[in-house]
Amino acid sequence: MATVQESFPTQRAAILPRPKSTTGFWSWVTTVDHKRIGIMYAVTAIFFFLVGGIEALIIRLQLFSPDMNVVSADVFNQLFTMHGTTMVFLAVMPLSAAFFNYLLPLMLGARDVAFPRLNAFSYWLFLFGGIFINTGWFVNAAPAVGWFGYANLTSPAYTPGLATDFWNIGLQILGIGTLVSAFNFIVTIINMRAPGMTLMKMPVFAWTTLVTSFLIIFAFPSVTVGMILLTFDRLFNANFFEVAANADVVLWQHLFWIFGHPEVYILILPAMGIVSEVLPTFARKPLFGYSVMVFSTILIGFLGFAVWSHHMFTVGMGPVVNSIFSLATMAIAIPTGVKIFNWISTLWGGSIRFKAPLLFALGFVWMFMIGGLSGVMHSSAPSNAQQQDTYFVVAHFHYVLIGGAIFALFAGLYYWFPKVTGRLMNEKIGVVNFVLMFIGFNVTFFPMHFLGLMGMPRRIYTYDPALGLQFWNQVSTIGSFILAAGVAVYLYNLAVSLKKGELAGEDPWDARTLEWMLPNPPPVYNFARIPVVSARDEFWARKYEGAPAKEVAAGSEDEEDGIHLPGNSYFPIIMAGMITLFGYGLLYSGALAVAAIILTILSAMGWAFEGVGGTIIYPKGDAE
Amino acid sequence: MHIHPYERLWIRLSVIMLIVFGIAIALSSLTFGIEIPGATRRAVATGLPVDATPEQSWIRELGPGRYEVNMIARMWGFDPNEIRIPKGSTVTFYLHSQDVLHGIKIRGTTVSMMVIPGQVGRATYTFDEPGEYIFLCHEYCGLGHHVMSGKIIVEG
Repeated sequence: MATVQESFPTQRAAILPRPKSTTGFWSWVTTVDHKRIGIMYAVTAIFFFLVGGIEALIIRLQLFSPDMNVVSADVFNQLFTMHGTTMVFLAVMPLSAAFFNYLLPLMLGARDVAFPRLNAFSYWLFLFGGIFINTGWFVNAAPAVGWFGYANLTSPAYTPGLATDFWNIGLQILGIGTLVSAFNFIVTIINMRAPGMTLMKMPVFAWTTLVTSFLIIFAFPSVTVGMILLTFDRLFNANFFEVAANADVVLWQHLFWIFGHPEVYILILPAMGIVSEVLPTFARKPLFGYSVMVFSTILIGFLGFAVWSHHMFTVGMGPVVNSIFSLATMAIAIPTGVKIFNWISTLWGGSIRFKAPLLFALGFVWMFMIGGLSGVMHSSAPSNAQQQDTYFVVAHFHYVLIGGAIFALFAGLYYWFPKVTGRLMNEKIGVVNFVLMFIGFNVTFFPMHFLGLMGMPRRIYTYDPALGLQFWNQVSTIGSFILAAGVAVYLYNLAVSLKKGELAGEDPWDARTLEWMLPNPPPVYNFARIPVVSARDEFWARKYEGAPAKEVAAGSEDEEDGIHLPGNSYFPIIMAGMITLFGYGLLYSGALAVAAIILTILSAMGWAFEGVGGTIIYPKGDAE
Repeated sequence: MHIHPYERLWIRLSVIMLIVFGIAIALSSLTFGIEIPGATRRAVATGLPVDATPEQSWIRELGPGRYEVNMIARMWGFDPNEIRIPKGSTVTFYLHSQDVLHGIKIRGTTVSMMVIPGQVGRATYTFDEPGEYIFLCHEYCGLGHHVMSGKIIVEG
């Protein structure tokens, strides 16, 4: 590559100099490149996805037949608590974040996200927060309060020891990282789009990212408040959730679900965005009803905050409140249904190529619809009261979160793999992967509808043989191992394709959006010259509709069109580490906590006064 | 902004569906006499027997086929955990928790609610069919959650 590099003059002497290496271990630890951070998010999230999956398999083994004794009741409770926490906060959300990170700047025609160092900071908080929560496994104190941690089981009288604190503090650490990255993406989307790309010309994936980020900003503070109250209860003997002091324990449920329901959309909207990119590419048609799709996404974002109490229909809030929340819940089915019909209409009349990404996307549309339908069943309060905390609910949200989110994320993993690595995933293994996952998923979770209607409650260690629940539980357990085999095939495909995958060349899918105008994998500076956007599917319009191939310089004029790449930095990982150390301090030693606060402030100062750093790159020699 | 006629039709259909659902909900909440846990469940709620407290459980026959049960949930069982009543009895349950949040679901009936410490839960049900009705705790309450159950025997 005919590029010229120049070191950017450092403005002042810093405590820690900017790291110099551009390859090897330290270059990854100190990186601020959104593409590398995206890859790290993906690898870490897939790792935690496997951890959560193994937890699920042990749960299914224990429930294979009545009175099994695979693990003790205590360990079982820890397993389902950590399974839920891991899958929501450490697998699906970060995997979505991986796509945000890697793709958004490329889709928008930007060089990076708005705040590259904050982006690295978010990643390290995610990794350290994940390690923090999982520390419980190694010190014999894994949390066992459920991923929702209803008060007052979480009060020190009923769950003494460190287990609940690992869960409570760990989620707060993760929450900081999530909030930071939400702000980062909003600023990136608002400010850094290529010239000509109006909001209504953005890819739908960028729209879902934007709405998801706003949801995070409005939803996370609520649960954070709840967790801070709980922290005070547990560490300083406060009385926010102590019944003896006349506390109302339902407060926690409200605080949790005002976050918890938008969280569902935080998990599913990115998946919807991915599917909205994959379907048009493989149907070779523009997305049907783009504007309605965007409005539906926004509407889901708004309505998502008006439905939280449908998790609490058995609390006793009265018929008026229950009816209002029923209504709002049913209303949310409408923008969601509109989206499903838009996806189907996108496929209608297209010249469809059944590649692995499309298979997963189709699986998403179908399975998500089933999950959506059982969701509408829950929205009716009387029916919901019957299904409260039964396996019917478990079936419902696994259809939404595996059949929905995970299938879409796998579609994305297959679709953008050549973008990231320059090689195609093996197509045949991909089909096997899809078929195994699809069959395994349905065999596991469809019988749970029956189990729920038969009255099997959630979160039970074992069940009475007299209840007649054995048969469907056995079917479900067998299915879970087929599903696991499907995931194993994915890992195999990943390993094979990374090494020997067919070279992708440029634009292997005949795609529609800006990121595919770049070589695979893209150069570190992304666009040598920024394309001027004139159409929604800009790349497609340039290839087939004669749209003008205008572009502008990527760098600033006073640097003679050189592109400034920010220097790597030690401070994101240091500061994230100090915040995590503060968490350990709260649990183990006040002195450590105080020291960690001081170190956090010092690292923030070091960060602030680090100096500009970085290099200027002149990609003029590139053919563009 | 230009909207395709089909899209416009679809938006209109959606709005109509929304209105129909709304009317259906309003009707079903107000006219079908569906009983879901109501707002009268505070500890200070009126109309409760004076001895409906979390201290002591009891079963009382008010008259032929009319019963009241003061039931206490605690880690990890219900008190009383076996109730015998004749067929056709109408039973009003008062539910208390002595420790953490619990739940109760009586299989095969409409009774399903959270049992919230500091509050009283109330539910009424008429047992027309003889048989055994198993009731379970359905809010996760710790180590012994899975053993927390009992039964109502309706004698024919």
